[in-house]
Amino acid sequence: MTLSALAVAILFLIIFDSYFKGLNLKTFEKIIDYETAHIKIYAQGYKEDIDNLPLEKTFDPLKIIPILKNDPEVKSVTPRISFRCTLSNGIDQLPAVGLAVDPVQDENVFTMKSSISQGEYLMGSSTELGASTEEAMAIGADLAQDFNAGIGDTLTVLARTKYSTFQALDLKIKGIIKSDDYTIDANSILITLALAQKALDLGKGVTEVDVRLKDPERIDLFKKKYFGRFPGSEIWTWKEVAEDVMAHSRSHDRGKNIVFFCILIIALVGISNTILIAAFERTREIGMLAAMGMKRGQIVGLFILEGTMIGMVGSALGCLAGFLLVVFWTTRFGFDLSFAMKSWGYIGFRSGVFLGAWNPELIPEVFIFGVVVSALSSIYPAWVASRMEPTEALRKY
Amino acid sequence: MSVVKMENAEKHYKVGKVDVPALRGINLSIEKGDLAAIAGPSGSGKTTMLNLFGCLDKPTGGKVFIEDHDVVTLSPDQLAEVRNQHIGFIFQSFNLIPVLTAFENVEFPLILLKKDGPNARRKKVMNMLAEVGIAELANRKPSEMSGGQQQRVAIARALVKSPDYVLADEPTANIDTKTGHEILHLMEEMNQKMGTTFIFSTHDPQVMEHARRLIKIRDGQVESDER
Repeated sequence: MTLSALAVAILFLIIFDSYFKGLNLKTFEKIIDYETAHIKIYAQGYKEDIDNLPLEKTFDPLKIIPILKNDPEVKSVTPRISFRCTLSNGIDQLPAVGLAVDPVQDENVFTMKSSISQGEYLMGSSTELGASTEEAMAIGADLAQDFNAGIGDTLTVLARTKYSTFQALDLKIKGIIKSDDYTIDANSILITLALAQKALDLGKGVTEVDVRLKDPERIDLFKKKYFGRFPGSEIWTWKEVAEDVMAHSRSHDRGKNIVFFCILIIALVGISNTILIAAFERTREIGMLAAMGMKRGQIVGLFILEGTMIGMVGSALGCLAGFLLVVFWTTRFGFDLSFAMKSWGYIGFRSGVFLGAWNPELIPEVFIFGVVVSALSSIYPAWVASRMEPTEALRKY
Repeated sequence: MSVVKMENAEKHYKVGKVDVPALRGINLSIEKGDLAAIAGPSGSGKTTMLNLFGCLDKPTGGKVFIEDHDVVTLSPDQLAEVRNQHIGFIFQSFNLIPVLTAFENVEFPLILLKKDGPNARRKKVMNMLAEVGIAELANRKPSEMSGGQQQRVAIARALVKSPDYVLADEPTANIDTKTGHEILHLMEEMNQKMGTTFIFSTHDPQVMEHARRLIKIRDGQVESDER
């Protein structure tokens, strides 16, 4: 029973960790695919003021993009403009975030195009970067729903230009975005880069250049390589840009560790209790061992050894079951919580299917921890067993 | 030559607020080669006396000597060492370790003694199992043996380390009369063959008949001591 309790505790730890890691990876993937890519280049001082999306801080991407495109580490590059705006249908008004993109380049870095669920994506120029001034927009599905608007409907986009004057654009809805990033679907519109530059008086300026690398693990080295190389601009990794998400992830990890600690405390108490009961059930046997000349220290050692052996077998079983469940089920099928997503405000995700992630480093850690917990759990029962008076113990039939 | 000796030994137990004298002023010496039975009614102090002889307990008054060492001065670990080196035990309920085979149960005291290597232990164990007539049951567990067979294993376990004396607490209480007779006969044989000293506690007349020395005890005092 002790063995199965430990195995189940270990199994829960591995599955729990798998889901936490999977949730983190899903969050990071979402951020990279829709918002940050791997590397962002901003104008100097832009990031500190990013909440305001300041249009005064722009730069010419043509000074940067050709250099980056020649770097073998770079998979794709695209410029963007982010701006605050207000959408109106003539009756209602809602705030939104505008994303101005070069449709041809942007689809190599982000996944907006593949998130178009109705209508069409924006049209771009394949010959000239950012040349398309198509007067149309793609809109997040939930934002469209708020206006009860669909393909072909026109909404007015109100925005401040670089010089703080107002600009109003009447744009037809060409496409509806339904992505895995709920914040995009609820708040964003997509227009072409050239249209935004013209409407917002930005000239050739953009607010950011986004880079997707071939090897995502090299973001820090990539940043180091280009640090200070583009005067007037700053280079950031996606982790730095999404620092609130990273902080959230760290707090998740802390929360996860607390849960792990609680699970192991429960296992420790359970194991200790079971071994204590076993010690009382073996009272006569302990009395006999003492009668034959086994010293107290040897009796303690015997019970700790038994507890450790139980820990080894229980941990091994738990690790094996955890490995099989994670590799063959949680990473492939996961948990489908779609039914609850809307009532939870989608918790940032459109999709309610949460897959686990395989974390091989956890297995030896959890195995060793299980063995140590079992050994520690055995100390008190072992001490109790060794303190039994042989005469009393032998009297119990 | 005395293997164990009591001088004015007393044992009192506290039962709630009441002080119960289990043994009062016992003077008794067990000689090497004795086949002694301690007999008396329930509550007479037989088990208490056996516990003192077996260094499972210490007297509250007087002395108990094993090879001239007063056990009163010994710590629990030192008492365990004395039991390990000098004393064998046979219990009423056999008290074999259920997960071990007959061989492993008999080998256990030798492992505790740490005197012999695996080969020497194996030889001693098989010889002892043959002496008690159950060599063929070496690989069986206690649950696969009869009461008589288990008690034979217990006897082998008690004798395998060649102790100075063996304490047997009601050794025939849990087996039938015929088997009990066989067990007693076996212990007599061991006593004669190996010169092992046996001390029984019993209220079984059959056991008393086999003893060469009969110590009667009543109300914590020796009533008679006959050879």
